[in-house]
Amino acid sequence: MTKRLLTVSVALALAVAVAACGSSSSDSSGGSSSSPLVGAGSTLVAPLMSKWQSDYASKSEETVTYGAIGSGGGIDQITSRSVDFGASDAPLTPEQFEEADGVEQIPWALSGTVPAYNVSGAPSDLKLSGEVLASIYLGEITQWDDPAIAKLNSGASLPSTKITPVYRSDGSGDTYAFTNYLSTVSPDFKSKVGTSTTVKFPTGVGAEKNDGVAAAVSQTDGAIGYVGLAYALSNELSMPLVENSAGEFPEPSVKSVEAAADAVKTIGKDNSISLADLPASAKGAYPISTYTYVIVPLESEKAEALKKFISYAISPAGQEFGPDLDFAPLPKQVVAAGKAAIGQIGS
Amino acid sequence: MEAGALGNPVLRARRSLTDRIGDPLLRGLSGLAAALAVAAMVGIVYEVIQIASPAISAFGIGFVTTNDWNPVTENFGAAPFLYGTAVTSAIALLLAAPLSIAISIYLTELAPARLRRPVATLVDMLAAIPTVILGLWGILVLGPVMHDTIEPALQSAFGFLPIFSGDPSAFGYLTAALILTIMITPIITSVTREVFETVPSDLKEGAYALGATRWEMVREVVLPYSRAGIVGASILGLGRAIGEAIAVAQVIGGATAINVSLFHTGGTMAAQIASQFQGAPGALQKPSLAYLGLILLVFAVVVNVIARLIVQRGKLKDSDTTLTEAEAL
Repeated sequence: MTKRLLTVSVALALAVAVAACGSSSSDSSGGSSSSPLVGAGSTLVAPLMSKWQSDYASKSEETVTYGAIGSGGGIDQITSRSVDFGASDAPLTPEQFEEADGVEQIPWALSGTVPAYNVSGAPSDLKLSGEVLASIYLGEITQWDDPAIAKLNSGASLPSTKITPVYRSDGSGDTYAFTNYLSTVSPDFKSKVGTSTTVKFPTGVGAEKNDGVAAAVSQTDGAIGYVGLAYALSNELSMPLVENSAGEFPEPSVKSVEAAADAVKTIGKDNSISLADLPASAKGAYPISTYTYVIVPLESEKAEALKKFISYAISPAGQEFGPDLDFAPLPKQVVAAGKAAIGQIGS
Repeated sequence: MEAGALGNPVLRARRSLTDRIGDPLLRGLSGLAAALAVAAMVGIVYEVIQIASPAISAFGIGFVTTNDWNPVTENFGAAPFLYGTAVTSAIALLLAAPLSIAISIYLTELAPARLRRPVATLVDMLAAIPTVILGLWGILVLGPVMHDTIEPALQSAFGFLPIFSGDPSAFGYLTAALILTIMITPIITSVTREVFETVPSDLKEGAYALGATRWEMVREVVLPYSRAGIVGASILGLGRAIGEAIAVAQVIGGATAINVSLFHTGGTMAAQIASQFQGAPGALQKPSLAYLGLILLVFAVVVNVIARLIVQRGKLKDSDTTLTEAEAL
């Protein structure tokens, strides 16, 4: 008798499971407007995204889910269309555009990449220039009391500690922004290393993710690394001041990043904007500022929902969350370009 | 009575029906499970070869010996990572195997009975530490100790060897190898302990009866009897060391060239794949990483085959030794 009961209950459970599968699959094929937008990518934009998610949900009753899996992962996922939108700190390369077939990128947040250092005996407002940073990462400047560093920090006492450059060993938008800047200021760096999300540095130590770099820097006397601006500010890392094209040494901050973005009016055909080559007139501009992008398919079942969400993100309502999280608001010309790009979706 | 008499044959018929279904059902389901595992393996290899094919046609077999990994110029080679994997896992095995054997001897032969179970459990629990935590510990605790104490000491004692030359560094081959040692010690220990426990007690008692000391008994009875098991356990640990990605990526320092000094930063195949596969830009970086994965697969299979051969030879020898032991007794 118990055996029979068991058989019956197993059969029942199976029937219920089959029915459940059937009904859920019919659900997902139906009403697409009610299913949430799914995005993945950049960890840099994640804090801002979580503000957007809750605010957007309360305003429009539509939900957005986001997986902070890293810029590279975001590009992969949107290329395979397993998400509705991707997010990346580095603009797509021509090859990536081709592979993703029918996507566009829209700048939707603005931040910076900053060096962080740990040198006992060095001044807390250490000054560096782009050329010096490039030479450090090329392994040409190897000690903190190098004449090139001393020249920028006249009067300060510098230790003779060996310099340990720390870089990201995984693919990273910060590496892209940093190497893009160094390649712009140093032709030598451009020819020997170049710009990408992963590059081959001739010297130094590779670490994983922002926290890996921060840990490596904090554990090594004489180390210098680079991390996202928001990460550096919220973890109170010591940041050197980097000389900009106006010859100033601005503090890395939302304000100086905003000044850099305001100075660049040219927007690439693919909506990419490089802030590495600032004009000398850009006063108070932080030299290693960078946009981060949302990547959307031009054709999608959720085109309307995507348009609505991205319009919200680049609008003042979305950008106002930025400064608290160390993101600068988008300048007008970028918002205008973004609106034009949104118009392309689903048309 | 009547109901029982009526119900019984029905029940019996039903039972035999389920029995008749049950047997083929079991065979079908378990066969399906086995087929799924095989299909998954074949599918993975096929998929990896598919992804790797642009790199295979671009670099050919020369990929294996190319000592470069430059995503900007798109020149990729496996040599730095083959070297890194071989060096770090070999050091880890050289350190972990004797350590594990010593722990197992202590736990099976020497430790007071009260201590055996708790200590064995603690050693097993080492294997349960998430690798990313071990990697973080490597950065924050082990790295500075390597840089400040261990590597300078090695250098002052053996500095004439090129493998201990150069500046001490918190990140590098040696730090990664030590993390791997910690990771594989519980695996090797757990297997060797089991093997030591299977040594027949009459053999051990026989050795004692002949006047052997404890050390002589361990050397002459326990170790020879367990040789195949020890090798098998070590290979299990080695396999783990070769395949470990995350913790190694955290502490090895992500350099992409061969360096003779163990203090220098380097890379391993698994770590390189884990850290760069996602969103690798360009036409060749991702295929090259898949190619690297293929080489890792071949590397692991070769190590496994060698291990099996050693174990089989060991088994033959073991049966010889047990025979002679038995004759001696």
